[in-house]
Amino acid sequence: MNDLTRQFRDFFVSLKLTVVLLVLSLVLVFVATLDQVNLGIWAVQEKYFRSFFVLWNVKGIPVPVFPGGYLIGGFLLVNLIAAHVYRFSLTWRKAGIQMTHAGLILLLLGELFTGLLQEDFSMRLEQGVPRNYSESFRENELVVIDTTDPKTDEVVAIPESLLRPGASLQHPRLPFRLVVKDYFPNSALQMKSGAAPGAPQATQGIGTTVTAAPQPLTYKQDERNIPAAWIEVAGDSGPIGTWLVTTIAGTPNSAPVLRPAQTFQHAGRSYVIAMRFTRSYKPFTLTLQKFSHDKYSGTEIPKNFSSRIRLETPAGKEDREVLVYMNNPLRYDGFTFYQASFEPGNDKVTVLQVVRNPSWLIPYIACSVMTLGLIWQFWIHLSGFIAKRARQPQAA
Amino acid sequence: MKAFPALATGLTMLVAVTGCQKEEISTYRVAKETVQAAPSAAAPAAAPAPAPASSGTGGTSMANTPVATASGNALVWTAPAGWTAKAAGSMRKGSYAVKGDGGEADMAITAFPGDVGGDLANLNRWRGQIGLPAVGQAEFDRETQHLDRNGLHMTVVDIVGTGANAQRILGAMVPHQGATWFFKLSGPDALVAGQKKAFLALLDTIKPAAPAK
Repeated sequence: MNDLTRQFRDFFVSLKLTVVLLVLSLVLVFVATLDQVNLGIWAVQEKYFRSFFVLWNVKGIPVPVFPGGYLIGGFLLVNLIAAHVYRFSLTWRKAGIQMTHAGLILLLLGELFTGLLQEDFSMRLEQGVPRNYSESFRENELVVIDTTDPKTDEVVAIPESLLRPGASLQHPRLPFRLVVKDYFPNSALQMKSGAAPGAPQATQGIGTTVTAAPQPLTYKQDERNIPAAWIEVAGDSGPIGTWLVTTIAGTPNSAPVLRPAQTFQHAGRSYVIAMRFTRSYKPFTLTLQKFSHDKYSGTEIPKNFSSRIRLETPAGKEDREVLVYMNNPLRYDGFTFYQASFEPGNDKVTVLQVVRNPSWLIPYIACSVMTLGLIWQFWIHLSGFIAKRARQPQAA
Repeated sequence: MKAFPALATGLTMLVAVTGCQKEEISTYRVAKETVQAAPSAAAPAAAPAPAPASSGTGGTSMANTPVATASGNALVWTAPAGWTAKAAGSMRKGSYAVKGDGGEADMAITAFPGDVGGDLANLNRWRGQIGLPAVGQAEFDRETQHLDRNGLHMTVVDIVGTGANAQRILGAMVPHQGATWFFKLSGPDALVAGQKKAFLALLDTIKPAAPAK
């Protein structure tokens, strides 16, 4: 082994590194907890834990100021594995320590996989209306839907992250270009006549009567940003029109004036253009049969929420009723459906939280392995102690 | 220690995996969505305007029955007799033609989410429509009246343009459950002034729609 490799090894197996990393994580957790007041839990997770560096904006330039969760966690993981491998010896006396470390490694990996693979969506079900998709809590998408076919819709979904003012978006499925004239990550709608001059202009749809003004981003847990974008649809022979799209338009819950879908025709085909909550379609359908909201009698304090739901697959493989209530989610096809919310005053609607986390079992396995390791370690010491006591002559 | 190169490779792969989560445009085909009824009351997007008061009902001053214009959080009102209901269209919650000697005035009832820029901005928008310059908060306080009817707070304005064919706007802004409702009667000065009593009578009848059972 040459010097460089040895230095490399000594650095990663060192217990000092472990201590430094643990102190750094303490500081990170402390600062992140304080910052939760400003940013809310989701933004804090993204900024402090699901990042390599904590960035500060200095005059518009992001500057790394502290190692983030991925970096500290990554180094901890390497440190643990390296120490584990380096000091490994297959003996019964050490087995407890080995198991505890292995459990800890598994726990760290589990969090990494959860951060990477977890999907956290919501599903709003109206009584009697089948639904086969869930919607993101935070992410939005621009969609152009070819509605020409009487039975099916062909959807081109563009993630919000690709909408930058001036961006030109093209896709083989679209016979035109989409040019982002302007984009606000959060906005409020207002009457066009009251808007400040110089605001972006739409030539078609709702944007001819209302316009959007930029708003500061919200990080509150119970609020979501309302993005707005002005999209110019440009064909071969020039622009077809510019539409204002926003997530609060074009849905059945929109204000009446914003409710109709924004449509246009091009080359003999019909299209709908809209901004909506990012959807995730499922190979099965859920229909709300009945939502129950029980309260303690004489009070407004909720006692129990439950949703009776019909689960169907198109091939008829599944067709059954399930009851979803607090701590009793529906688990199906890798998804977990929790009773999450309801709409006050509307008992025909239920809101489920839809979570897909392929690594959900890892923390349970990790904790079990650690527990077994600690029990083993404790037992080895205890049995050694008892044996030692037994060997000693009894005091007179 | 043979394990270290493997370890380094593993770490590099982890970094690569965490760094390569680029979002891309996706396409898919789905069955057409079942058309959903609007929540609870299942009211159409723009409720049809009430039938015009027939001449046979001449005796009653409030001939029309209240009309729910939207589900749940809507307002209802009763229009004065003699006002002719027009098709509301997609923009309006209610629409009436008010005929008189000086021609015809237009009553528009609209609702928009939020405060639509605030009452001052809304007043200035209306002032702009009849050729008046924008005013500040002090002038706004002088020009507006405040009414409280059926649990609703109404900001009422009465503004007149200048010149020979001066136009007048009688307007009320009514915040209700996160939206702002606008009741605006606009037309020739003399005609609109003559309808002020009827307009105020309509304001008296505005109330939240009964919740859907």
